[in-house]
Amino acid sequence: MRFAITMLCFIGIASVIGTILKQNEPYENYIIKFGQFWFEFFEAMGLYNVYQAFWFLLILIFLIISTSFCVSRNSPKILKEYKKFQLNVRERSLKSFKHSYEIPVKKFGIIKLEKLLLENKFRLKKHTNKHGDLIISAKKGDFQKLGYIFTHLAIIIISIGGLMDGNLILKMQELTGSKKIIYEDLALNDVPATGKLKTSNFSYRAQMLLREGEKQSVAVLKAKEGYFIQDLPFIVGLNDFRIEHYSTGQPKSFESDLIVEDKKSGKLIKKTINVNSPLTFNGVTIYQSSFEDGGTELALDVWNLHSSEESSKMESIIFKKNELAINDQKYFFEFNDFRKFNILDIEIGNEKKPTNVGPSFIYKVRNESGQANEYQTYQYPMKMDNSFYFISGMRKTPQEDYQYLKLPADANGEINGFMLFKALLHSPQILKNAIKRVVGQSFPDGGERSQVYFEGVERVMSGFIQGGYSQIAESIDTSLSIEDQKRIASSYIKIIFLVGKELIAIYQSNNLETDTFLFESNHKFIQEALTGFNDSFFYGLPIFLELKNYVHVQSSGLQLTKSPGQFWVYLGSILLVLGIFCMIYIQEVRLWIMKKKDNKNILLALTTNRHRLEFDQFSLKISQQIKKTFN
Amino acid sequence: MVFKQTFNYLFIVSMLMLPALGLFKFHQYMDYYEMFILVGTGITFIWMSSYWQNFRYLVSSVLVLSFISIFLYEGNLFSGEEQFILKYFLSSQSAIMWMCSLYPLSLLMYWIYLFKKQSFFGNFASQLTWIATTMGFVGLLVRWFESYLISIDVGHIPISNLYEVFVLFCLITALLYLYYEEKMNRKELGAFVLIIITVAVGFILWYTFSKGADAIQPLVPALQSYWMKIHVPANFIGYGAFAIAAMTSIAYLLADKGILNSRLPSLIILDDLTYKAIAIGFIFFTIATILGAAWAAEAWGGYWSWDPKETWALIVWLNYAGWLHLRLVKGLRGPILAWWSVIGLIITTFAFLGVNLFLSGLHSYGEL
Repeated sequence: MRFAITMLCFIGIASVIGTILKQNEPYENYIIKFGQFWFEFFEAMGLYNVYQAFWFLLILIFLIISTSFCVSRNSPKILKEYKKFQLNVRERSLKSFKHSYEIPVKKFGIIKLEKLLLENKFRLKKHTNKHGDLIISAKKGDFQKLGYIFTHLAIIIISIGGLMDGNLILKMQELTGSKKIIYEDLALNDVPATGKLKTSNFSYRAQMLLREGEKQSVAVLKAKEGYFIQDLPFIVGLNDFRIEHYSTGQPKSFESDLIVEDKKSGKLIKKTINVNSPLTFNGVTIYQSSFEDGGTELALDVWNLHSSEESSKMESIIFKKNELAINDQKYFFEFNDFRKFNILDIEIGNEKKPTNVGPSFIYKVRNESGQANEYQTYQYPMKMDNSFYFISGMRKTPQEDYQYLKLPADANGEINGFMLFKALLHSPQILKNAIKRVVGQSFPDGGERSQVYFEGVERVMSGFIQGGYSQIAESIDTSLSIEDQKRIASSYIKIIFLVGKELIAIYQSNNLETDTFLFESNHKFIQEALTGFNDSFFYGLPIFLELKNYVHVQSSGLQLTKSPGQFWVYLGSILLVLGIFCMIYIQEVRLWIMKKKDNKNILLALTTNRHRLEFDQFSLKISQQIKKTFN
Repeated sequence: MVFKQTFNYLFIVSMLMLPALGLFKFHQYMDYYEMFILVGTGITFIWMSSYWQNFRYLVSSVLVLSFISIFLYEGNLFSGEEQFILKYFLSSQSAIMWMCSLYPLSLLMYWIYLFKKQSFFGNFASQLTWIATTMGFVGLLVRWFESYLISIDVGHIPISNLYEVFVLFCLITALLYLYYEEKMNRKELGAFVLIIITVAVGFILWYTFSKGADAIQPLVPALQSYWMKIHVPANFIGYGAFAIAAMTSIAYLLADKGILNSRLPSLIILDDLTYKAIAIGFIFFTIATILGAAWAAEAWGGYWSWDPKETWALIVWLNYAGWLHLRLVKGLRGPILAWWSVIGLIITTFAFLGVNLFLSGLHSYGEL
């Protein structure tokens, strides 16, 4: 037993390690965490997949063997004890019991005594020894010893069930080389036989990512950094995948409408599975495990933020790559994900509430020199500080937080207003006009000073259009005092605002029916548009993608499990509970009564193998009952 | 005597009628397992109250108060903030706040009783514990109702997140303690058991006021199952019992060192109570872990994934199995087992709380 306990301690420690050290992560994460040396050390010890480590399974096997040993050694003894009644007791030994009573009797009768013992749920045997003394041996609660057999047998059965599901056979096959883990991305037809597992594989837990409308007949069994292909006895098809949401926006259920076709019989089963109701077919259970985008089609408008061009169209699909040339530069787009629902804390009335702000799509953009940024752009504008903005997040690495580009929505809630505005900024004629008007407000009579002023404003605007506020900040003479610099900067900002205002006024006078800028006061819009334009220089991309339309395609992540050990584990569990109950709640009591031939008194002795507090009272009770019956 | 008998018969009748009524009214919203659980609960309550009269009173008062609360809501969630009785007593948050105020008070009373030994304080403390437990259960039942008022698909039994199960922990621990208090007819241990309950109350208050954890959230898909109704309560009977065992062991260790030993029950009694608590905790914890495995097999694709929560449950199980082995097989008694039981609570707390907060896995249903 000590060996078993040591083994259990090892299992305990290994298990704890397994919880603290995140299991089954891609190896690069471990290298980053621990450095090369410790990474290799831990890998050799199998700590990244503790529970499948060879030594862990070995400990389990030892445990089973040692427990079986114990059980097989002790069970015959226990079962024999069950029948024994131990009638050869001596008076002296009975008197030495802790619970021993000498009870005087007036009229003794065996039948009455037996009846009393039976009423107290004892089983008894009686015997008259060679001296003529009557000995009654009684016991109850010896089910309790059975509890020991039950519990330890249960542990063995559960462990065996667990091992059945522990793909030991696969491990053996890996050792002998008949099966080899695949590490490369291969097409199904290119997978060698050593990488394929047959449907007869005893137990497995494999994954399948199924796109809406797709069918698959094999699953992927992840192993270390690679995988095996697990053949299935049926073909799984996905008709539709749905996420239903609560009114708060949180996911309510994930459902997949599956069609499963048995390969041999051709029998079809249609079932909708969700997280708590899997489908079992042919000994394999299919679970709703996760979901991904399945290749949503995107219809995009491409806006060049630094020209007066109108938008162009781009169509793409998630997981696809696009190439685009802007201003003689090539950009490579990788569309990675589409999310139909985004739950963010948005102000509603006075408070911030989690709201569904609508779809977003995530893409990586690489320029010719290889630098890449990741973007997440939302389709619809969001309300912030009482106004609506189109939001696009940018980050240089996945570890960083997104920084956000906010472009104000126009009076119709669309992005056209901003895009018009930036186009106006890039239209030299209109810009000149606007500047003239601004200059005219300060110098209504013209003159030389107004000409100088005009050129100054032109310079400021040109700087702003080329590089935003920071560009003009650089042009401020640093030899001036800080206060003077600040004054100049704020006057530049004011001028730019005034020009912006005039740009819009000019546009509106040339397009009388337009309502794009029909705000109560377009002051804020102009301010935010200028800010947005300035921020675009930090956006890392001269292009803003507007999502106009999409066709949503989803993939359902399924887990397929074949688990023959499950039955044994459950059986063992029931046995375990029964066994624990017996061991703890059933108390074995042994009782002897000796009536010597020549003695009027009877000797009563009781013992229990678990000394319990209530046993004192129980013994007393029996002795008093006997006293009462015979007196 | 007659009153008591009539009450008992009425109780049995209601424990059969109420589930029947529930089935009749709501059967289209329940699957077979849930119907079975509902009927089984009624029968369990009948069985439990057959040997514990006070349990009858608890169930009856909880049901009466809860139904009054439901009635006062008049189908409108906002009544909870407008109607006077709801606002200050019977809305789920108010009831739980009452629970939170009365447990610490009863802890104080138990300590006064421990020192002054006047039965008034002991009885008062005991009564306060009963009332606090009643209010806590009312709070949970009304919360269950309130979740349905928010929306039909949001409604669920309130044992689904860290906040709710902390309340459940207080209630089950208190209930188990009250049972032992009555059986042993000794009130001194209240001073110890109520300590851990008060700590839990402290956590509940902090969690409520600094994180707004009392807000009712809808169930994530993985939790939408009848299994939650049996796996979670079974687990908390286990946790509650282990908590009582640890507190009793602390009392044992103090008495063993001569502190308070004149006021506490004898070492033998303390030792025996520790054993009884660990025994019942162990059975329910075993059952709960098995139920958890069966649930995982339906939801996650396997009865055992070596998820941190599952693994730590195994460690807790092995810990107490070891404790019981030493006691039952080796006959060990005394301070070693007492220390072990206290350390067992630390391990259990990590499995209960630490795993959710510090380790990630499939089981992270409560984060700070």
